[in-house]
Amino acid sequence: MGMSYRRYLSGARIYGCSECKTHLATIHSMISRAFNGQHGRAYLFENVVNIIEGEPVDRQMTTGNHTVRDIYCVKCGETLGWKYDKAYEPAQKYKEGKYILERNLLVDVQ
Amino acid sequence: MRLTSNDADSTLSVSPDELPQAGPSTPALSNGHNGVLKGNGFAAPFTNGNGKAPLADGNRAEKHTQSVARVSLPGTTLYDDSHVDREEFVRLVIQSLRDVGYIESAATLEAESGYTMETSDVSRFRQCILEGDWDSAEDTLLRLGLSEEEGLWEAKFLISQQKYLELLEAREIASALHILRNELAPSSPEPEQLHTLASLLMCQDLEDLRRQASWDGAGGSSRRRLLANLQRYIPSSVMIPQRRFATLLDQAREYQQARCLYHNAPTNARTFSLYADHACEPEAFPRVTTAILQVHDDEVWNLQWSHSGSFLATASRDKSAIIWRIGSDADPSTREYHAQFILRDHKYQVGCVAWSLDDSILLTASENFIHMWNTRTGALIRVLDAHFDVVTALAWLPDGSGFISGGLDRKIILWDIDGKQRDTWGRTPIRVTDLAITPDFSKLVAIGMYDAPLSLPPTGGAIAASDVASGGTATPPTGSTAPAPANRPAENRIIVYDLLTKQLETSVKLEGELTSVKVSQDSRYALINRALDSFGLHAEIHLWEISTGRTVRKYTGYKQSRHVIRSAFGGVDENFIISGSEDGNVFIWHRDSGTLLETLPGHGSGSVNSVAWNPANPKMFATCSDDHTIRIWEADPAWTVGSGALSEGSHSLERDGSGKGKGKGREWVGDSLGGAPGFSMAGTSRSL
Repeated sequence: MGMSYRRYLSGARIYGCSECKTHLATIHSMISRAFNGQHGRAYLFENVVNIIEGEPVDRQMTTGNHTVRDIYCVKCGETLGWKYDKAYEPAQKYKEGKYILERNLLVDVQ
Repeated sequence: MRLTSNDADSTLSVSPDELPQAGPSTPALSNGHNGVLKGNGFAAPFTNGNGKAPLADGNRAEKHTQSVARVSLPGTTLYDDSHVDREEFVRLVIQSLRDVGYIESAATLEAESGYTMETSDVSRFRQCILEGDWDSAEDTLLRLGLSEEEGLWEAKFLISQQKYLELLEAREIASALHILRNELAPSSPEPEQLHTLASLLMCQDLEDLRRQASWDGAGGSSRRRLLANLQRYIPSSVMIPQRRFATLLDQAREYQQARCLYHNAPTNARTFSLYADHACEPEAFPRVTTAILQVHDDEVWNLQWSHSGSFLATASRDKSAIIWRIGSDADPSTREYHAQFILRDHKYQVGCVAWSLDDSILLTASENFIHMWNTRTGALIRVLDAHFDVVTALAWLPDGSGFISGGLDRKIILWDIDGKQRDTWGRTPIRVTDLAITPDFSKLVAIGMYDAPLSLPPTGGAIAASDVASGGTATPPTGSTAPAPANRPAENRIIVYDLLTKQLETSVKLEGELTSVKVSQDSRYALINRALDSFGLHAEIHLWEISTGRTVRKYTGYKQSRHVIRSAFGGVDENFIISGSEDGNVFIWHRDSGTLLETLPGHGSGSVNSVAWNPANPKMFATCSDDHTIRIWEADPAWTVGSGALSEGSHSLERDGSGKGKGKGREWVGDSLGGAPGFSMAGTSRSL
């Protein structure tokens, strides 16, 4: 895998891991706040950095069946949300390749 | 200097006062008039047309006869088809002969060739300077062809200056003052210079005088240096520059050396014979793995040799660092490697290691912590916790009094040798990914990520949370926002600080992520790895001139896009650039030409992360890789043993390590050798 430094984001508002404050995403890459996760409200992001992706699993959600991967903080290993690999419902296709971060696991960082 | 061009009457017209001066031309040895005025051929029978005659009998040991025949040769060049002027050549030979003390041979050559090394005026002038006979020196100067337009005043000024300094040295203040007023003042080219000279009158003692004037006294080398300076004003055809032949030979050596791409040999008479052009054998170059160190159980990210060259420290993703002791055995097949200390007390992965100047302390960096280790006992001395993000660089000060750390938290901290914070830089404009200190203690070169001030307007809540979702239900976003800039490539910069004032001197933008910086021994250049950037530019290593802030050479061919890959200078005179690569190869370039010399396979899959040339052994370097191992590279042992004379065709090295049974219980060899496909054991050719 090799050594790499964590990415640092810049922008008006930066979301980091609540555990270790590692940068994860900016408000500019947020697509929607209207999601729910295991711990309540969750956000959909176009792009997230400094994460490790788990193995793909099929998961039944209220909007249908999806193939998703859990995502973890690269530094502390905290589970942060998931990534959509595939949405089976045509209406949900827009989520493919996007990321969910749970709001309660995020903090604002700078 | 041609004595007589018309030597029709068979005597050499060497007039007595133009007798060749015996004695070396080098002032250091010059002894002027003690010339051995052996009878150089006067009135010799003229053996014109038989150029070989005088040497033909070969016995030059005989106290050569009273007469040496002048040999007259056609043309003016050394050979028919050469561009070398014969007179120039012969005069340089005479100078060389005198320098080493072959006084008689020099005289014979002068007689035989009809050329003299120099006129007696020149000899006298040199002697006057070296003996401090200033009045005669100035008189002679006029006879050497200097005119008032051409350097006469400048030359006189130099002589007067020496005179003045010597009088000051002798505490003859009145005389010195006289010189200052009557000789130096009228001819001084610049008022400031005169002012400086005058201020020397105030010097308290001799030490002070010598220091302020950067002058080492009449008894030192100052008169010789004066002579060298005066050379500027005297035509070199009149007074041949000192040791001219040797200078030319040095130039030839430098030329050959510059063309020797594998040059890794010390400069001495053995490696540079005059008989043949110099070229280092590529076979003598370290390009074969002679040992594989395998104790880490995860990727090895960084490494550094101790200054003694007999220890190697490695940093791994497995949260440990290891101090390896390298046996002193010159034979790689019997040399021992020993994991002396496995430094485990890190909570996180270890990213860098740094030996103190005396090798007594090893620093390791792990996340935001710096660990100080006693290298004799392996004990943890202290953990330093002042950074609040990853510490990416550790560099000891050139005087060993402390060290500097840099981190992604934009902090650069100067520490005492006992781990106390001595100083910190303010918030740096970059997140430091590496830094290096110039050996001359003057500058700090840092590289890193620069967050350009963001000018994007806030998106103003265009992402409406209108559609209340239940369980991940959402309609497609309506006001689809601008392309997300989360992965906007950050700007990367090289920043040079003045080490003492901490002032930022240079800040230069470079596209692509910068992951490694090293500084050359002469403090002039920084070596910087630049990853493939998002516009698809190739990964490049830049040789960057610190004083001008410009890249003077680039090294390409290696792979780097996502990982921290490091490079280094190495070899004799730092003739080589070596780097890791994401394709698992080790790359080596010739530094001055940029020629890619070697692409060395051997490490397993993943990146070769870092490289380090042994500071005590220019024929050894080490590399570390994602494959969990460290490799030691040297010249092919088969070649070394035969010392180049591979008499039998034994060059068919087994280039796969399948038979490599190095596991005589040596802990430093793992068991996975020869396992993975493509994991070829380049040239571990020992018969085991």
